Amino acid sequence: MYFRLNPECYLIKGRKLGAIFDLIDGTTYALDHGETELINNCENNIQIDKDNDTLKELKCIRLGNFYDNKIYVPKLKVGSPFVKDDPLVPLYPPEIHRAFLEINNSCDRECWYCGYHGVKRSLGCMGCNKWENNDEPLGIERWREAINELEDLDCREIIITGGDLALAWDKTVEILNHAVGRFRQIYLIMHQESLSSEKMDHLEDKATLIVQTERPDSTKSNHLRYLVVVKSNEHKSKIKEDNTIYDYIIAEENSISKEHPLTSKKKLSGVNMFKFLSHVEYHPCLGHSLTICNNGDVTPCPMMRNHCFGNIRDKPLYSIFEDSWERINQFWKLNLDRIEKCTGCEFRYSCSDCRALEERLTGKIDGKALCNYNPREGIWT
Amino acid sequence: MIEFRTKNGNMYAWDNEVGLFIPFSHAMRGVLNKISNHNPPSREEVIWQLKNEFPEEDVEFCYDWLNKWNRIKLKKPNYPEIHDPDKGDIEKYLLKRGFTQLLLGVTEDCNLRCKYCIYSDFYKHSRGYSEKYMNFFTAKKAIDNYFSLLEMGKRFNPLRRPTIGFYGGEPLLNFKLIEKCVNYIEQNYYKTMFVMTTNGCLLDEEKAKWLMKHDFMIIVSLDGPEQEHNRNRIYANGRGTFKDIMKNIRPIMKADYKKIYSLPVYDWRTDILKQEEFFNLKDIPQTMAVSQVSDYAGSEYYDQFTEEDRVAHFSKIEEGKIQYYQNLDHHRFKEKNTPFDALFGTAPGNELFGSISIFHSDPIRPFTSACIPGTKIFVDVDGIYHLCERVPYSFPIGNVDEGLNLDKIIKLIINYNKAMNKCEECKVSRKCNFCYQMFMTDCTISNSSEVCNEIETLRKNSFSSAFSIAEKFPDFIENSNPRHMNIKKYR
Ligand code: SF4
Ligand code: SF4
Ligand code: SF4
Ligand code: SF4
Repeated sequence: MYFRLNPECYLIKGRKLGAIFDLIDGTTYALDHGETELINNCENNIQIDKDNDTLKELKCIRLGNFYDNKIYVPKLKVGSPFVKDDPLVPLYPPEIHRAFLEINNSCDRECWYCGYHGVKRSLGCMGCNKWENNDEPLGIERWREAINELEDLDCREIIITGGDLALAWDKTVEILNHAVGRFRQIYLIMHQESLSSEKMDHLEDKATLIVQTERPDSTKSNHLRYLVVVKSNEHKSKIKEDNTIYDYIIAEENSISKEHPLTSKKKLSGVNMFKFLSHVEYHPCLGHSLTICNNGDVTPCPMMRNHCFGNIRDKPLYSIFEDSWERINQFWKLNLDRIEKCTGCEFRYSCSDCRALEERLTGKIDGKALCNYNPREGIWT
Repeated sequence: MIEFRTKNGNMYAWDNEVGLFIPFSHAMRGVLNKISNHNPPSREEVIWQLKNEFPEEDVEFCYDWLNKWNRIKLKKPNYPEIHDPDKGDIEKYLLKRGFTQLLLGVTEDCNLRCKYCIYSDFYKHSRGYSEKYMNFFTAKKAIDNYFSLLEMGKRFNPLRRPTIGFYGGEPLLNFKLIEKCVNYIEQNYYKTMFVMTTNGCLLDEEKAKWLMKHDFMIIVSLDGPEQEHNRNRIYANGRGTFKDIMKNIRPIMKADYKKIYSLPVYDWRTDILKQEEFFNLKDIPQTMAVSQVSDYAGSEYYDQFTEEDRVAHFSKIEEGKIQYYQNLDHHRFKEKNTPFDALFGTAPGNELFGSISIFHSDPIRPFTSACIPGTKIFVDVDGIYHLCERVPYSFPIGNVDEGLNLDKIIKLIINYNKAMNKCEECKVSRKCNFCYQMFMTDCTISNSSEVCNEIETLRKNSFSSAFSIAEKFPDFIENSNPRHMNIKKYR
């Protein structure tokens, strides 16, 4: 008798343990040592005993089935995994899915958690930040053209961010109006205190607003998400609201709370078929993404300002792709197989990762500090 | 779903709706038949109705699993309906993914009279030979036009690099023009990949040196050992070409030049075992691809063979396959590709992992693997643009003076889509690798209902042999899939 997982169920092995990822149900099953060995044997077509309770259980929850002969189960894929590197078939266009446009870098506020003060936040890129930088900002015309270029590259979503966009409100509205209709999704990031109902009206239906705050007010709208800054020790299983994302302050490596979704078992809950398969090759966050900074620098993400692929003041965005593709692609493909700790972890295709933070904490582009799992031993600390 | 079995008797099915294979069973078929009704019975009813045929736990499993599987089917809304393309669609597509290659047919003349050549009398819909040569004005206009298209396309696809191929007849008969073109491009434009497809007979040492200096990819038509090669590849006077070609490629091989390939062809009389042995020899260029002499609409080539030839050929194929899989390690680690790698090594992997997509098909080109004309541009000696070097001349898509003609391209796509009258219900449509050349005759496009009579049976057979190999050599099959190698780490 043989037992095989279904096409939609991937067994991923780490150095020590394994896990099953059900890509249709979106569920992760972390396995213990015995289970890992057993299922690994099954997936390698080694004969087993039909009376095995674990396997019967797996059949019951529809993860796999028994077979009389050795069979080959092709795993669920969403697209063909072949690289066409036939020299006669040239490269396809770069697949850019997301771009941050940091259209402003000034702010009169002095938020204690701003990137300006070097504070590390788990979702720093999703909120506003100002940076030490006196370069002249890009003008409106260049932003319009950048938007046209992104559209021509089939970019799917853009995130317009600052600084305080209220300080450059006319520019913001003009850029936003130019962008409307060209992307599947537009986000705009502002601090709660910079918002007014008049500004909200401007944005209505054009963009989803991400509101940076410590204490969200009660405004409800389909076009609004709160990004709530939380100190790590503050977080006591808050009730998760649909339109709220928590942005944790990361003090230092050794002060990580076990409660952090970024670092604990909690983050391992869901798995999405498209994301999982993409993470086999691409970094969960940097993959297919770019940032255009206020001064025109093109970087992998708003927080990784020390890696610059070029500046769109000097040349078109497409030339940056042309000239720096190898480096851009290195960042895009820096998936967790390439991260020193994660490479041996069974959760490497379902886990999230903030490279900007990890690099700052470890000083290494492939370092990992924010994780309470030890894949060598298979234990959570 | 189409069901098939492997040699071991295992059942699988190809689910054309999502473009994926699944393990299958009698119980699965039983349940599927019940639930694909317009008015499907409830879970309990299905279990009850099938209780005498299959164990209850199997029926339950199949019922639940098929329901789960159905959830990966993407919903239709948000996706454009199939429609006739307009200029905007075509323009955008080509700027992004078109212009992959400019192919200059520098002459229609040839110094050989290969028996299977598509320009020979066996293929009535092709153009035939002529003594026409392309002149530099035509070539220059085509080149300028190509680079200006690439320039426009840059902002849509900054990664594309120019590729220019020289094609014939025998392109080396017009070597002077090729030299002029390459010099012109090197002086006026940027790094371009050059490709030369030649029969090798005129490739003397001086020309070979020049091609290597300009970093050409050299593709030589070489069919195998002397006797096999000379059976089809002959001069007009009937003399075989083998010795001349071997003499010509020797200096290139000696220089250890990496970008030379052979492109062998076989038919039902080819001894593929001897052919394979030949291409394993050290001084023979690596194999780029192998192909069987084409059997397109209107070809009479295969009329010359008997039933015995056919049977003998297929038994040789089986023998070759067995040999190949007995020596997998040898093939995996050898230095260069040979015909068997293409025939047996990559074929099952392609069958399993090629053209997978759970997404809805392209709304302007919903069926087959046909390109959007303009993906490649073939320029004939008179400067007329064609969508491919392998299709008849009656479907031009522009010329060197006007450039690409989008109206013609649109008309062509619409007519082609119309002719694909069987594809909507074809159960292997997502695996279809046919394109224009399969359907185009003199001036018309044949219907897929005529061309694809037995396609489902044919595909079933090739699915079945691919899975038979996969059951035996799963690692080998999965190694053909390098982008996903890390998934199997530590296993
Ligand atoms: S509003 Fe944003 S940019 Fe301004 S100080 Fe606060 S966090 Fe920084
Ligand atoms: S961060 Fe890395 S090591 Fe930690 S759980 Fe995620 S993938 Fe595993
Ligand atoms: S072979 Fe078919 S798909 Fe390929 S380029 Fe020629 S016509 Fe287009
Ligand atoms: S009917 Fe023929 S052309 Fe149409 S999809 Fe099927 S195999 Fe391809």
